[in-house]
This record gives sequence, structure tokens and C-alpha cells, in this order.
Amino acid sequence: MALPNRFAVVGHRLPRLDAPAKVTGTQTYGTDVILPGMLYGKLFRSPVPHALIRRLDVRPALAIAGVRAVITAADIPNTRYGPAVKDMPALATDRVRYIGEPVAAVAATSVEIAERAVAAIEAEFEPLPAVFEPEAALAPDAPLLHPDWARYQALPILARAGNVASHSRIHHGDVAAAFAQCFRVYEHRFTTPVVHAGYTEPRAATARWEGDGSLTVWSNGQLPYEVQATLADILQLPVSLIRVLVPGIGGGFGGKLRIALEHHAALLSRAAGRPVKLVSTCEEELTAAHPRQASIITLRTGIGRDGTLLAKQARVVMDCGAYAGSGAGTAAVALQIVAGPYRTPNLLLDGFAVYTNKVPTGSFRATAGPMGNFAAESQMDIIADDLGIDPLELRLRNVVRDGDSGPAGEPLSAVSVEECLRKAAHAIGWHDRRPGPGRGKGIACGWWMTTGGSSGVYVKLNADGTATLSSGAVELGTGALSGACQVLAEELGLPLDAIRISAVDTAGVPYDYGAQGSRTAFSVGNAARAAAATLRQRIAGFAAARFGVAPERVTLAQGHAVAGTESIAIAEVARLIQLAGGGLIAHGTFIAPAPPHDAARVDNHPLPAWNTPSFHAHAAEVSVDTETGEIIVERYVVAQDVGFAINPTGIEGQIEGGVAQGLGQALSEEIVFHEGRVVNANLTDYKMPTAMDVPSIESILVEHASVAGPFGAKGVGEPPCIEPLATVANAVAAATCVRITDLPITAEKICRRLFERGADNVPPVGQPSPAQV
Amino acid sequence: MNTIPLQLQVNGEAHDVLVEPHWTLLHVLRQQLGLTGTKENCLEAECGVCTVLLDGKAVNACILLAVQCRGRTIMTIEGLGRPGRLHPLQQAFIEHGAAQCGYCIPGMLLTAKSYLDEHPGEVPDPAAVREAIAGTLCRCTGYQKIVDAIRAAATRMREPA
Repeated sequence: MALPNRFAVVGHRLPRLDAPAKVTGTQTYGTDVILPGMLYGKLFRSPVPHALIRRLDVRPALAIAGVRAVITAADIPNTRYGPAVKDMPALATDRVRYIGEPVAAVAATSVEIAERAVAAIEAEFEPLPAVFEPEAALAPDAPLLHPDWARYQALPILARAGNVASHSRIHHGDVAAAFAQCFRVYEHRFTTPVVHAGYTEPRAATARWEGDGSLTVWSNGQLPYEVQATLADILQLPVSLIRVLVPGIGGGFGGKLRIALEHHAALLSRAAGRPVKLVSTCEEELTAAHPRQASIITLRTGIGRDGTLLAKQARVVMDCGAYAGSGAGTAAVALQIVAGPYRTPNLLLDGFAVYTNKVPTGSFRATAGPMGNFAAESQMDIIADDLGIDPLELRLRNVVRDGDSGPAGEPLSAVSVEECLRKAAHAIGWHDRRPGPGRGKGIACGWWMTTGGSSGVYVKLNADGTATLSSGAVELGTGALSGACQVLAEELGLPLDAIRISAVDTAGVPYDYGAQGSRTAFSVGNAARAAAATLRQRIAGFAAARFGVAPERVTLAQGHAVAGTESIAIAEVARLIQLAGGGLIAHGTFIAPAPPHDAARVDNHPLPAWNTPSFHAHAAEVSVDTETGEIIVERYVVAQDVGFAINPTGIEGQIEGGVAQGLGQALSEEIVFHEGRVVNANLTDYKMPTAMDVPSIESILVEHASVAGPFGAKGVGEPPCIEPLATVANAVAAATCVRITDLPITAEKICRRLFERGADNVPPVGQPSPAQV
Repeated sequence: MNTIPLQLQVNGEAHDVLVEPHWTLLHVLRQQLGLTGTKENCLEAECGVCTVLLDGKAVNACILLAVQCRGRTIMTIEGLGRPGRLHPLQQAFIEHGAAQCGYCIPGMLLTAKSYLDEHPGEVPDPAAVREAIAGTLCRCTGYQKIVDAIRAAATRMREPA
């Protein structure tokens, strides 16, 4: 059991601050924004995967009553944008690169009229050879998606060439020499499909130009400051003339990191002279949003007779689609993931982000985590079964421990993967791994970063004794901002319900790197701590002067500043300072220091060493109907090291939701393409888990305090969706002796494999392919 | 386009509206009546975020024509309870951490109300709750805390006031 909580606010199961608004329907979201005179925008999208635009005639659209503006690339600044590689135009210029690429945009007085206008636009395309598979795109004679790639601006660290948007490498030791001496060398190839983040609120943006030439945008994106900077690039405006507000977000999971419709709303609004709103349809979400990359991961792993990992070589290919998006970072981070939380003396890991003529991809919860972990942790089980070592035991023999180094030579601390594995195994009843016919248990472990980046907050002490937190980090649903408020309340001696969160508006809130990467509670929490320290000092100074004592003697508790028998309410302090001193506002900042690492081990990697890594293990029990192939996840356990549980209820919610997303990716979710065209662009055929598909999930919160996090916290939000893919694959293999290496693990695949095998023929688990060494 | 005069009973109040024949109830609630607590997403009755109660039964407002609602009573999230006077389901959702992004929550709450109203005095087992809410997708919570909250509310609603 957990130790008794010595804190007043942090560590407690308190209701999140935005819950009342969310259960009463009063929370405003991006889709709810309505402005006087507002028009509705729609996009004309490419119907072909790769072509030159030979003719584009928008006059028939302009002729329709109610149409107020139609724009094409000819009407807007000729710029390109992107988070790592500036390769994407707001509207296609001379060529289209995927089915769904925006080519023209329409603003009209109703959605229906805008749709009719889009249908009236005439275009002719001259087809170009298209490439849909990343391996094909890597061929020397493959069609080039971006003939001008060398002229694009990009992060200087990236290594790019032709269809390769980025190539990162981590290397250490000598894998070739090590393989030659290994007892066994295993090589396997794993694939995962494109999946959608599945947020329930579609992407939406509303833009209005103001009389002073400035622009106001209501966005439901996760990164208001990145939206601002990207709009500045696209519109060729200084950032200070762009104001981004985020009223509320109906889920993001990384899928709303990148700019979506904000630029189209802004460009249309400028052309029409009226506010313009765009909302993605479900079909647009599934064909032209920023889904997770498909991946092809080949692992070559060398192992000693006693099960010691000696060498690992990986080739990770991320299909980033027609534009790089988040592909560079994803392909790079995959390298730490496929290395896993294991001691491996020899590593040679290559990650490629590759252009294809498909929807450009973005980020989805833990970017490369689920794909890389699926490959690495599936292979661990294959190896264990081949060597006749229990899969848990094989992991325990190789996991990193305190004092070990990560793949880039970075020292690791607060390492807890062994404890997570043991706790998850115990809870699932690992001693009985195959409890009956068609039943099996699986386990997987992993690690993940707490993303860095800077955070600034203002904390204002209000005259009623409450405090208001202003931050550029938005609340996208995780509750992380409520967690940061718990930290703030603790530090100010206030109850949580005395903390307010200000509206997100770049005109007023300080910069934050944004609600992404499991960093919000950690980083904003630390910035809030810094602001609270300043406020405490000023409150104590004020109270000390009134009491006639030294400031060090003043403490804050239960809404009061106290020294001996003297006491003054913080509200009174705030009121008096407001009257006499212009109010009490503190600016708190934080940035996680870059972890030291061995630069000789890493090439062209934007995130070579992870800030405050977290460790976790998942275990599941599944039953498989050997007649139909149906898989039921009967039980699911997560042991996750959260450093310090700021709000256990909120953390359980992250774990339960992340596992549900992971189960979807394991078992049912796939955006299916045929020659670049999505064939299942609706929620009937893109199957996300319902309440009946998700089991009750047992969360075990492990707390190995981090050095840098508030009260020892580590990043929480992304990890829960990393391990379910491998965990389920391993459980299914235990239940059926069928090893699926291409996700999702559908009933059809299980049935086919069982049928091919024949009913009586029970083969060994897995398909190890010992290399010829 | 021809418009049709229509009286809608929403949350106990009568509303006279002019609607086009193809307008959905969702469109009228959000665009004509300003009741934006009912959310919109897939518009094909797959995600459930637009769920409202029609004569007490949960329906997807995105595929129901407004003209089909003449003479019938509609409840949206705005009619379920309000701050300071919350329905037991709303209170339980707050206490159990059942709302994360919150976008599915209005539909989820009304689905739960419909189910509990059909099973008065019962505390449904978790499997029954999961089946009852299977038509509403939630991508944040993994459903567990929603199931817990609905069962807690059912327990509370069974107790004598």
C-alpha cells in the first residue's frame, strides 16, 4: 500500500477543475465558436495521388449565390511550412502529392453552399507516377515526391535525401563482431498500419481579421504558440499580429499538434472580409488529417547462451506520407524504443522517415512508441520461447537498472522497469501463463520520455484569496493542467478549488512548448512552483512587515500567512497589495536541462537523450476462439512508474484511456489504402474500441521519484498506449501459438493462420529465424 | 428552400422554429436554438456524441430530422442539470473522474440516463452498463471511470431521497 500522503493537495484524488463545465455541456470547444457574420469554409481536395495541376477554374464556384470567396495557391503567399521540414504548401501549387490534398478553398454563407461550390470547381490533373509503399519509395529509381527537397528549409540536424525526409542513427560498439559471437541471432520484420488519433471533436478553426490588420484565430489545436508561429510563416505576418485562442479541445492525443485548418480559415477570411469557420468532416479526418505513421521495423538481435542481449540492429522505416510532418522525430525516437529498457552493449539503429503519395502523417500519443515497442517486445517473446526461457525471466535478465546508460550513453536514474515487470506479472498471475485452451497471458515493458521544452506561467493572486494560473499549455482532456494546479495549490497553501485557470490566448498567456509529450503537469507544474516561490516570498514579506517579524518566520497554510500567533488571510494580503502595489503577479519559468549523452553515439537525431524517462510494464490475459478467431481481452494490468502520483484518479484515467487506444491499435484499427485512396473513411469501417471491447484495467502506480519533476513526478500521459500492442500480441501467441507480426491482430488473420496450421498440428511458438553466422 | 414552421419541446420549453425539411435535430439544436452542449462529430450515428433524449429515449440527433420531432419532448444536456443543481449522474461523473476532454460526455450522460430510467431501482452490473453505452465512443477514458460513475449514480438514485 502507498505511504500516507504528507501533502495537503498533491497526491490526492481531487476532481479536476473543468469537470463541472464538462458534465453540464457548458464547456466551449473549437467546434462551438460562432461569430457575427461568420462564413463557412470548405476545401477542394485532390482526387488523385500524384499529378501536376494542369487547369484549375474556380469561376463556376464563384458564380454560386452565397459564395463569398474562393482561393487557390495563386491568391496566397508562396510559402511552405512544417515542424521539421518546411515542405507543405497551404494549398497545392503546381502539383498534388496525395488524395485529399487541399487545392482550393471556398467560403460561403452556409456549409451546404460551400460544398456545392467545391463541387463546381473544375480541375485537370496530369498524372505522375505514384509511390505508395515506403520501401518502394527508397528505391533509387522511385518517383521523387519533392524534386525541390534540397531547397526546403529544415532543422539543421536532419539528414535528408530525395524521398528520405530524415535519417537518424544511434550506434555503439560493433554489432557485426558481436553477431559473429552470439549463440543465436534472430531477425524479424514487423509492420503496423496508419491509425487515427480518434479524438471525438473534429479539427475546427475560425478566423477573423481585425481593423488594425491583426488576425484572431480560434483553434482547437494543442499548441497555440506553434499555430501562431506557423501562421506567421504562411501569412508572412509578425507573430504579434496573430492572436490564437483555444476555447476548448475535444481530445487531441497528438493528432491536433500541427496546424490543421487555421491557415485556411485565415486565408479565406482575408479574402472574404468576414470571419470564416472550417470544421473537418469525419471523412476528412480519416483521409486528410495527421494520423500515425505506418511502420516497417526489421530487428536483428543477437543473444548469448544464457539469454543475455549482446547486439541489436534495427531498420525502422516510418511512412510519413506526402509531407514530413512529425515523421523525422518519430523515426528518430523509434530508435530508443526498439533498443528498449535493456542493457545492450552493441547497437546499430537506423530510422528513416520516407515520403509516399499518401496522407501526410503527424503525431499520435507516444509517436513511435507503440510501433517500436510492438516490434521489440514481440521479438523478446519469440526469442524467449525459442531459447526455452520464460519471457518475464528473459526481460529481467536484461533490463536496465539504476546507474546503467541509455542508448546514447546517457546515465539513467530512478529506473524501475524491474519493479514494474514484477508487479504486472504478479497481478496477472504470470505463474499460470497458459491457463486453459485458447487462453494465454502476455507481458511487455518499455520506457518513454518526459518531453522537455520551456514553460512560462503567470500566477496572479486574486483579491478573493484565489490564484489564477495563466499558461500557454492547453487542457486537451488529460487533466494535466489540473495536475499543475494541484502543484500550485500545494505550494501556495490553498485548496485546489481556490485555483482558477485563465483562458488560453496568446495575447495574454506566456509561452509554453505545449500540451504534448507527457510534459504538461511536469513542466507547467515546475513553472507554477517557481511562480509560487516568488509569490510566497512577497506574501511573507508583506505579512512579516505587518507582524513585525522576519520574513523567514512566515509560513503559508490553509489560505493564511502565519507567524506565531499572528495571522492574515492571503485574500487580505492580495487585496491590500492590489490597492497599494498594483496587484500580485509572478512569472514562473521552467525548462528541463538537456540530459548529458555521448554525442559520438548519435547521428542526426533531434532527441538523442530523453528527459526524465518513465518505465512501465503491461500484462494481459486473452481468450481466443479458435473457430472464429475472435480475441477477447479478459484482463489487463498496467504497472507504470509515474514518479509521484499528483492525482491518482487522473493518472488511472490516463492509463485506462491509453490502454484502450493501444488495444484498438492492437486488434482493430487500420486506415486501409488502395493505391493511395482510403477505403474505410468512416467510423463504421474504422473500428475504435467501444465500452464492450475494453476490459476493466488494473492500474498499479509505481513511484520512483524523479529528480526534476514536481514532487518527483514523471511524465504520465503517453506511455499507457505504448505497450498494449506487444502485450496483446504476446498473449495471443501464448493462447494460440500464432505469432502475428503485422498489426492489427484481426480475427481473420488468426483464423487463416490456424487454418493453415491445421487443427492437430501444434507448432512451436513463434518463428525464429536463426541467422547464418 | 421551403421552410416549415415547427414547435419543439426542448428541456421543458416550447420553441417555435422555421426549419428546412432536411435539417437534422442536431443542426436545429446547435444552430437555431444555440444549445451547443449537444456535440457534433461523425454525423452518421457512429460516435454518439450528439445523443439526446427523445421522449426519454436516447437517440442520435445527427440522423434525426427536426420535422420528425414535432409534438415530442426533447432533453439535451442543458436540461439534465446545471451547476449547483446537478443530476446524480453528473455528480458521479465529476467525483469518479469520468470526464476527460468531455466531448462525448453530454451524449454519454444522456445515454446513461435513458438506460437507468428504463431500469428504475436497479444497479446494473458493469457488463450491462458497457452494453448500454456501447453506442457512444469515448477516446479518453477507456470507459472504466464512466462505468464506475454510472453504477455509483444508480446506487445513489435508488436510495430514498
